[in-house]
Amino acid sequence: MEQPAATPEVVAAVAPVSISPQLLVASLVVALLLIGFWFRRNSSVRGNAIVFVGPPDAGKTALLSTLAYKQTLPSHTSLQTNTSVLSLSNKKSVFLVDIPGHPRIRDQFLDHLPDAKAVVFVVDASTVSRNGAAVAEHLHKVLHALTTIPPSQSTPTLLVLAHKSDLLKTGAASAAASADQLAINRAKSVLERELDKRRASQSGAVGMEGLGAEGEETSEMGGLECSGPSGGVFKFAEWEGGEIEFLGTSVRIGGGVEDEKSSGGPGLSALSQWLEDLP
Amino acid sequence: MLDHCSIFHKGGLVLWSRSFTPAASQLATSTASPVNSLIRDALIEGRTADEKYEKDGYAVKWTFVNDLELIFVVAYQRILQLTYVDDLLAALKTLFVKLFEPFLATFVASLHAVNSKAVAVSNAASEATSWNFAKAFEGWDAVFDKLLRGLEEKAAVDRKSRLRPSTRPAIESPSTGSSDVDTAPTESSAIAIDEQQISRNVQALKNRLRGRGGRHGAKAMARTDSGSGRDSHPGSDSDTTVKRKTKGKTLRKWGDEAPTESDMASLDFSYDKLSDVEGYQGGSLDVQALVDEASLGTRTKDGLYEVKDWEFGKNASETDAAISEALSSTKTAQPAAASGSLGALGSIFARLTGSKVLTEDDLKPVLEAMKQHLMKKNVAKDIAEKVCEGVGESLVGKKVGGFQTTNAAVRQALSNSITRILTPKTSTDLLLSIRTKLSSPLASTQQRMPYSITFVGVNGVGKSTNLSKVCFWLIQNGFRVLIAACDTFRSGAVEQLRVHVRNLGMLGVNGAGDSKGRVELYERGYGKDAAGIAKEAIAYGRDNDFDVVLIDTAGRMQDNEPLMRALAKLVSVNNPDKILFVGEALVGNEAVDQLTKFDRALRDFSSSGAVGKGRGIDGMLVTKWDTVDDKVGAALSMTYVTGQPIVFVGTGQTYTDLRQLRVANVVQAILSD
Repeated sequence: MEQPAATPEVVAAVAPVSISPQLLVASLVVALLLIGFWFRRNSSVRGNAIVFVGPPDAGKTALLSTLAYKQTLPSHTSLQTNTSVLSLSNKKSVFLVDIPGHPRIRDQFLDHLPDAKAVVFVVDASTVSRNGAAVAEHLHKVLHALTTIPPSQSTPTLLVLAHKSDLLKTGAASAAASADQLAINRAKSVLERELDKRRASQSGAVGMEGLGAEGEETSEMGGLECSGPSGGVFKFAEWEGGEIEFLGTSVRIGGGVEDEKSSGGPGLSALSQWLEDLP
Repeated sequence: MLDHCSIFHKGGLVLWSRSFTPAASQLATSTASPVNSLIRDALIEGRTADEKYEKDGYAVKWTFVNDLELIFVVAYQRILQLTYVDDLLAALKTLFVKLFEPFLATFVASLHAVNSKAVAVSNAASEATSWNFAKAFEGWDAVFDKLLRGLEEKAAVDRKSRLRPSTRPAIESPSTGSSDVDTAPTESSAIAIDEQQISRNVQALKNRLRGRGGRHGAKAMARTDSGSGRDSHPGSDSDTTVKRKTKGKTLRKWGDEAPTESDMASLDFSYDKLSDVEGYQGGSLDVQALVDEASLGTRTKDGLYEVKDWEFGKNASETDAAISEALSSTKTAQPAAASGSLGALGSIFARLTGSKVLTEDDLKPVLEAMKQHLMKKNVAKDIAEKVCEGVGESLVGKKVGGFQTTNAAVRQALSNSITRILTPKTSTDLLLSIRTKLSSPLASTQQRMPYSITFVGVNGVGKSTNLSKVCFWLIQNGFRVLIAACDTFRSGAVEQLRVHVRNLGMLGVNGAGDSKGRVELYERGYGKDAAGIAKEAIAYGRDNDFDVVLIDTAGRMQDNEPLMRALAKLVSVNNPDKILFVGEALVGNEAVDQLTKFDRALRDFSSSGAVGKGRGIDGMLVTKWDTVDDKVGAALSMTYVTGQPIVFVGTGQTYTDLRQLRVANVVQAILSD
């Protein structure tokens, strides 16, 4: 009896392709390289920006022009964001982002926060005692944004820059170091007082819901919590969101930077040093 | 005559500037410079559709170059009416861009370093270029001087020629209006003789009338002449008149003798000779211009000529929107024959390669569609026009790259513009302001004044209802509130407030009923003067330790002048801390009228009092928000007109129906389809 030709019951769905092991290894290596390159490129751009925020007429655009172009150009109120590249002495380079300070357009800094390595809040030290409330409102927004960053992203460091320190009248006609210190002290005290007022008015407040869908965050802003010996009164040293540094600086409109090695002029020496020291 | 001229980038850095007086140069470098005021008040607010900006005696004119992101600004004294400023700006724009285009392109690219992401490349580039701004623009000063001098001289000549025909010395020269450059020179020589004649006649007349020497008249005329001339050559008018050629006098012809042959020829105005007819050149009329071939009708079989039918074609905006839809849908696919002229093809390819520059013709149909969309969302017609104009101005000349269509670019720019208009520029945190005032240091003899809020608006918008909602919210936050019933006109207004106070007293903080002392009503019945009641209410609040006084006023129409004066009197007498305008979300074009008239009336009528600077509206409360689902354009109209923020939104008739405005939601609702 003839055996019927054994037809295979199961036909292979896909004809087995014979892959040579070298081809497999090569394609795997290429894939790994691509993935690694993509991630490295992403991380090299991310977290490399220094964002300058602050109230209008604080001197942010002048700072950017001094750092980027080595000369301080005169400027008017900014209408849009400026970004520039600064190469530091140790072969690193950072992006400088200057956000306009006008209340209607200042919320753009939230778009740059994910990329930010550091946030510099620039304050005009000579007029801060007069418009302290408005400056504090802006700083409150920045602090609130910093405290609401999701934990997957790294929180940028915060530096409060007491700018235009050369416009302050110092008692002793000594070097610029005392003017910077005076500017720092003045800005610190005014801002602490105003921020404490804001914290007090919001701690007991019954907020109001915003329009829109349920579950959105309320309009009141937190971000000012402090824990420390002062018993909840706002102090920069006790802020829960992280460390805040203070520096005093000044630039001269129309001046240039002759020294190629430093990235700023004499008035910006503290800032240049801080930029170099950033991780 | 100009005070200041500057060219700067939209990011704030000044490329070139010139001040013409020392005072102007000092002002320009301070924060109160007219350019800064222009940017803060007009450009950021998005009111770029207005042609001129005036502040503090300065008039400022500006123009944009959008692809290089530059702004050209000229500031001068407002009382001078300079006619050549527009020409100067246009000429400046073209010259500057032509001369310095490569440098400007690299400069602007360096200010957007994040987008390029080519860190290594830009590093090398920035080290190579020396960024010597002074050297880059060194030829520009000379060019600018020449341009300015040319325009000023032309304007001076025009002004002198316009001065000729006016009779002396009464009328000032018409200094506004365009200068007819073409006709002026020919005119001036022809009427020179008349002007001398007239001046001599007037002088003789004055001598006769006054009986004195003609010197006074001559001196006065010369002085007024140079005063009204107001140009840089004060005394030269009278000098140049002498130099004009005088035409010889011709003998006048009277009608008592027969005309001669030559007279008849010159007096013959008939069209006998074909060559006299204007535009007639050898018998060939422009037949094409008389008839449009495409609109010719049809001939029937009988030889009758029938006119073409009238087609109720689609709206222009619809067809244009359809065209732009077609353009966008075929951007990646092969361009279909439907839109298949080379223009559309060329623009698609240009867009793909990233070099399509937006022109006004591209933008016009898209902006028109956007305007109709805004109006459908209940934005007032004028406001929609101005917003779209502002967006168009900021986009003309801009490069649109990649896969972004014109529609998408315009939509993005419009969304930015609306967000900017709606975002408040002053703090809307009422609790903070109240606490700041209540905790401010006092003189020892004074008692603490309560924080007062006045609610104004037209009839029937919901002032009393929303006042009680605000009162409920303040009570929840622990304040003692006094309600002043200053609506002494409408029957039942006081009783309404009394019921509200009773309800609020029962509700209390978190349902506790012991907050009887938290809210009280101060009323003096009907028919009394509202300003007096408000004053007494504030005094009562101060004496009895109330934190906040809410003043309810009667509704009034915006063009009822005696009532607006009464309201301004209330404001100037009591100087409330906040004046809230209550408007309803259903209002359409009326919003513009209501707000402008209220604001202006309050400012004008209240500034005459002891307050000094007039108070305007400080904030707005939009009510009946729940009756419009997404047609929330009234919010945009109201904030555009006043520039003040919307503090609260009323969404119902119970005490908890009070919300704060969320800008992102409103923008999304306006732009959604």
